[in-house]
Amino acid sequence: MAHAAGLSLLASLDFGTLPSQVVNGVLNGAIYALIALGYTMVYGVLRLINFAHGEVYMLGAYTALFVSWAYGFRPDVPPDQLPESTLLTLLVMMLASMAVCAGVGVVIERFAYRPMRNQARISSLITAIGVSLLLQYGGGLFLPQNPPPTMNERVNPYRQTLELTLVRAPQELTTAVENARQLAQRSEAAFQERLKLEKDRFNLSPEGERLRDAKFEAERQLREAESRRNTAQVTVRVGAGRLAILVASLALMFLLRQLVLFTPTGRAMRAVSQDFDSAALMGVNVDRIVTITFVIGSALAGAGAMMTATFLGTSISPYYGVLPGVKAFVAAVLGGIGNIPGAVLGGILMGVAETLVIWAGYSQFADAVAFVVLIVVLLFRPGGLLGSSAVEKV
Amino acid sequence: MLKRKPISTVLWAAALAGLVAAGCGGPKPEQTSQPSESAPPAEGGSANRPQPTAAGNKAEGDTLKIGIVVPINGDQKPWGDDALNGAQIALEDFNRQGGIAGKKIELLIGDSGSNTEQAKSAAEKLISDGVLGIIGDVTSSSTIQIAKSAFEKGVPVISIGATNDDVTKQGANIFRVCYIDTFQGQVMAEFAYKDLGLRNVALMTDRKQAYSVGLSNSFRKHFEQLGGKIVGEEFYETKQTTFTGQLTNLKAKNPDGLFLSGYFPEVGPIVKSAKAAGLNVVPLGGDGWDSKEILNSGGEAVVGGVFCNHYNNKDTRPQVQHFLKRWREKVGGIPGTTMAALGYDAMAVMLDALKRSKSFDSKSLTEAIEATENFPAVSGDITLKGTNGNPIKRALVVEVRPLPEGFVMRKAIDPKDIGK
Repeated sequence: MAHAAGLSLLASLDFGTLPSQVVNGVLNGAIYALIALGYTMVYGVLRLINFAHGEVYMLGAYTALFVSWAYGFRPDVPPDQLPESTLLTLLVMMLASMAVCAGVGVVIERFAYRPMRNQARISSLITAIGVSLLLQYGGGLFLPQNPPPTMNERVNPYRQTLELTLVRAPQELTTAVENARQLAQRSEAAFQERLKLEKDRFNLSPEGERLRDAKFEAERQLREAESRRNTAQVTVRVGAGRLAILVASLALMFLLRQLVLFTPTGRAMRAVSQDFDSAALMGVNVDRIVTITFVIGSALAGAGAMMTATFLGTSISPYYGVLPGVKAFVAAVLGGIGNIPGAVLGGILMGVAETLVIWAGYSQFADAVAFVVLIVVLLFRPGGLLGSSAVEKV
Repeated sequence: MLKRKPISTVLWAAALAGLVAAGCGGPKPEQTSQPSESAPPAEGGSANRPQPTAAGNKAEGDTLKIGIVVPINGDQKPWGDDALNGAQIALEDFNRQGGIAGKKIELLIGDSGSNTEQAKSAAEKLISDGVLGIIGDVTSSSTIQIAKSAFEKGVPVISIGATNDDVTKQGANIFRVCYIDTFQGQVMAEFAYKDLGLRNVALMTDRKQAYSVGLSNSFRKHFEQLGGKIVGEEFYETKQTTFTGQLTNLKAKNPDGLFLSGYFPEVGPIVKSAKAAGLNVVPLGGDGWDSKEILNSGGEAVVGGVFCNHYNNKDTRPQVQHFLKRWREKVGGIPGTTMAALGYDAMAVMLDALKRSKSFDSKSLTEAIEATENFPAVSGDITLKGTNGNPIKRALVVEVRPLPEGFVMRKAIDPKDIGK
């Protein structure tokens, strides 16, 4: 029985879309990774889970939105009157988001976490939750949310879709598509000709209806032919904007790596994360390092927020950071919280796992899978995938 | 043991974060009980709705009190504001036309604050203040709570925008002026099949919204009855930001239409990503699309999409022209959402019934509302006689065009022309 069930599940899978879905997963994962870095860096240095990180991300998205409005991309402007967007516009938006988020991160650290630093760890944790709720509901008082605003798609100059065909379809299927397309074009032309004589295209005369139905029939045949061709070939399709997210995320992660590994600040940061008090005794200015950590982590969240708001175009609200925040946090724990490559690995792993669940036809469980993966990994590796399981001084 | 300590802290934190995530949400206008599998049709039917046993309120002196419960605060404020303005214009119009001789009508306003508990307590307050009937709310979830209190006390309710099928099953004193989800699913299925010639439609359902789940089911049922095929259904959740996984799956099924039964904040981005994923489809939807914001979030991809709505500003019926003129005088501009017209209609139906009422008490008023026949409302002619509180009225199919055109009415579909 189990064997048969397994086989039927296997039969229902469409391996033609698998490469596409893996690419989708990596692209989604890059965003989780970018946010997860903020959690993991703060945890590494302070042993504090910064629950307000998702809200910093939310403020980054609003900042990007306001900058785009300042550029003239307001929602009530007709499309032909919008300004042209360039790479420079995007860079200004990203830098503004990163700057605002870095500022917010520093303020939160200075006024909420620093006074709690020498208290029991649970106090800091509760403070973090408090700051998170304060920003969500406080933001609701001042930020526009009725109706939830979205970034104008014209802000993104890269709106085309890139296609890469991995396996080509046989020639006869491609020819069939071409033939069907010509037929569809002819019947479309005939219908358009007829439409000039019609008063209302939703209340047609019998002749109009006949031509309309003929057009629909031809279009259906074209789709059928396309479907046969598409099943035979394997194509990966990516929006250029999403690719831009990946490239920018990788660039930022590379910069972070260089900073942590090869600069004096990075060395001090690693020292603080290994032992807070000894680092202070060795002459490291701990407060400065903590501030820098918050600056970097929050700026990365700002960059991520600007990119999702711009390239994915989902609506922004004061709760914009809640779901990404939780997922990125899980990604950080999955990779081993406190470990920088772990956060990246955890983020990408989660993105891919989620997309594969959707691919298998269980989109209603996509959000649950993140937590299932987390539990499974923690059962076998309590410190996370790349985390250290060393005994900790408490 | 020591070594595990940080991890358990982390896990607790994860659980807490999950709670925080579950506890807050943005606009969730129609979270209601589960949609019923087999709702009775809007027209006719003789499902037995329970009769209220309480007598309700009686008018004292020359003042007739009517209550309205709408969200004046919270997420749904734009809908609540529009509905309240509409209702106030309807009251003015009624008084201008002579009102009820020797009586003064007083409108008491309750704020549902965009949440169901507050809607219930606002309704209870109005009932104890002596209102003969209540108008509201704009969403199904709040209306169900109002209906529960009103049923206990025997006070009639006319809902403004609750489309969930279950709302009027609460009791024989519960009515509405909008169509129900079963009907709009059928309207869209017929339009997609006959007028757009679509045969293979895919569904995207917001599984957190009972409204979306119910509407998708209705569309699926009617589209399959017509002979069309639902090639796939994928799920997402309110507030989700990426939809590429679901859309890549649907792309492989090669649909010619995509039915999106959710609300506009997600529908716009989904349509946009669908285009990027290579789906060449006609986007279709229900009244959850009704916000200009969809033009911004959906961009070029949503242009050409069609959805079902209650009312359109470009309608040429005399009632609509009169309503728009009065709106310009009193509020200015044109109404932003369809709730303005429905608010006007709910009030107008209530006042019309009050005028016909044998005596000025809740019981007679309920009977008078039940007797409403072919009332010429702004959103279409309304009949409530023998319909279990769900009016027989038309639905509009609206096409999304680029600004400044916006939403353009394509077809008005009458219940008697459907299902043939």
